[in-house]
Amino acid sequence: MMMRLLRVDFLKIKRKGLWLLTVLGPFGVVALQMVNYGVRKDYLLQQSENDWLYYIEYISNFTHLAIVLGIVILTSFIASIENETNAWKQLIALPVSKLSVYLSKFTVITILLFISSVLLLLFSYSYGLYLDLGEEIPYITLLKYSFFPFLAALPVLALQLWIATVSHNQAIPVTVGVIGVILAYSAFTLPDWMIWKWPSLINGWDKPYINALLGLSVGILLYVIGMFDFKRRDVK
Amino acid sequence: MEYIVETKNLTKRFGKEQAVSGLEMKIPKGEIYGFLGPNGAGKTTTIRMLLGLMRPTSGSVHIFQKDLRKERIRILNKVGSLVENPSYYPHLTAGENLEALRKIIGVPKTRIKEVLKIVRLEDVANKKVKGFSMGMKQRLGIAASLLNNPELLILDEPTNGLDPSGIIEIRQLIQRLPHDYGMTVIISSHLLSEIDQMATTVGVVSKGKMIFQDSIEEMRKFAKQKVVLKVSDSESAWRALLARGMRADWDEKNITLLNQSDENVATAVKYLVKDGFSIYRVEEEKKSLEDVFLQMTKEERLV
Ligand SMILES: Nc1ncnc2c1ncn2[C@@H]1O[C@H](COP(=O)(O)OP(=O)(O)O)[C@@H](O)[C@H]1O
Ligand SMILES: [Mg+2]
Repeated sequence: MMMRLLRVDFLKIKRKGLWLLTVLGPFGVVALQMVNYGVRKDYLLQQSENDWLYYIEYISNFTHLAIVLGIVILTSFIASIENETNAWKQLIALPVSKLSVYLSKFTVITILLFISSVLLLLFSYSYGLYLDLGEEIPYITLLKYSFFPFLAALPVLALQLWIATVSHNQAIPVTVGVIGVILAYSAFTLPDWMIWKWPSLINGWDKPYINALLGLSVGILLYVIGMFDFKRRDVK
Repeated sequence: MEYIVETKNLTKRFGKEQAVSGLEMKIPKGEIYGFLGPNGAGKTTTIRMLLGLMRPTSGSVHIFQKDLRKERIRILNKVGSLVENPSYYPHLTAGENLEALRKIIGVPKTRIKEVLKIVRLEDVANKKVKGFSMGMKQRLGIAASLLNNPELLILDEPTNGLDPSGIIEIRQLIQRLPHDYGMTVIISSHLLSEIDQMATTVGVVSKGKMIFQDSIEEMRKFAKQKVVLKVSDSESAWRALLARGMRADWDEKNITLLNQSDENVATAVKYLVKDGFSIYRVEEEKKSLEDVFLQMTKEERLV
């Protein structure tokens, strides 16, 4: 049943611009560095001891913003597909469990975000090579900064999907989303416990993997809460 | 008697408001069950509970003799539905819309063509639903409800927003279903005339309560219409009818026949012509749903 639902959900996002966004997100993040390095490459290389790490840090300055913004847009799009003509009632009157309907929506966005992360890795690696930042390529760091933000952002994903699917008024998830983006923008000044800070991979211990682990566990927790709340409620 | 749908004490409260109270719905197999009630009576809420879209505050639903709470998915396998306004994905074509449901239901792909043909939308299968008229969307919704060859079809006000020819078409389609496919059909409406033309069994709800549930023939006794005569010199004409032993009312303008059988109306007309009155109109005065309700509650036909 899960595979069927997933295939259906991928059919439904056709022509909705979700795929475009999936590509545009990571491209935008790297494109900003194309501008940055395009304008002042010599100066930037002069500034840094390790050109690759310096470059990756610049990229990661924007990754978390793009990912939080992307999540807000993707979740609200995928919920709007069912909300628009209140297709929830048609979908859930089919012989499917509400839990799998919810899991399928979550999985679709997770897959899109994962693809975004892979693209981020490819784009930043390729442009790094093009910039000729040195022989010693820090593959592990590249991987970390491509996939940890995705894992660390899972709580935001679970929260936004929950709100977007159960709200009767779509202004609510959008408002929460906008606040989230602003919080993510000011990640540096936020306390460590705030989920919107996590995708930035910044924490008091200076260990990015902590954010990824926290994100994964709290993300699963929020997902489960959202899923059971969705099941408990009457269909819109 | 074995019922396809049987609810016991079905109740739904929204806050303080009791939208459905103590509903005992009983639908035998092969019937077209007209679920009649004015707007806000609780029809949609009841239907949502039949489909497991809403949890009853209390009471139970049994469909195909199975408890909906325990065997929801098994039951829904054989139920088709259209609740309130049709749902669709506007950015997808009619075919893709049905495909999105078919994949979940798991019937063969050819079924899409079949149901599109039943509702006569096969020519627009590849057009986006965004540009469809209200009637086409409604028909697509009905096509969707037929995808899984349901044994029970639940249609909530399916002729809403249709033009007269669309209404006739849907009516003819619905009337075929029990005979052609062995389906049991629930169709809700706030229009007495619509239920009168389609249903074989009727349940009438008012303010969340079932105030009548019986065969259509039984209901027609309540919905009897009046025959009104407009004639020249109506007072004398009325007295003339009374003098000939006919039962009639007079309201300063028109004569109303109390026995509206065909023979009785014909006799009255014959007498009036014989007595030299001019007959301008012989009309049937439709009874409104409210009139019928009033009568049902007055006669305390509480079920
Ligand atoms: N989700 C809901 N929340 C609160 N009240 C509701 C909800 N759905 C329906 N109602 C109320 O329940 C009553 C019955 O509504 P409904 O079942 O839609 O009637 P009908 O379909 O017969 O027109 C109405 O008074 C309506 O306002
Ligand atoms: Mg209704």
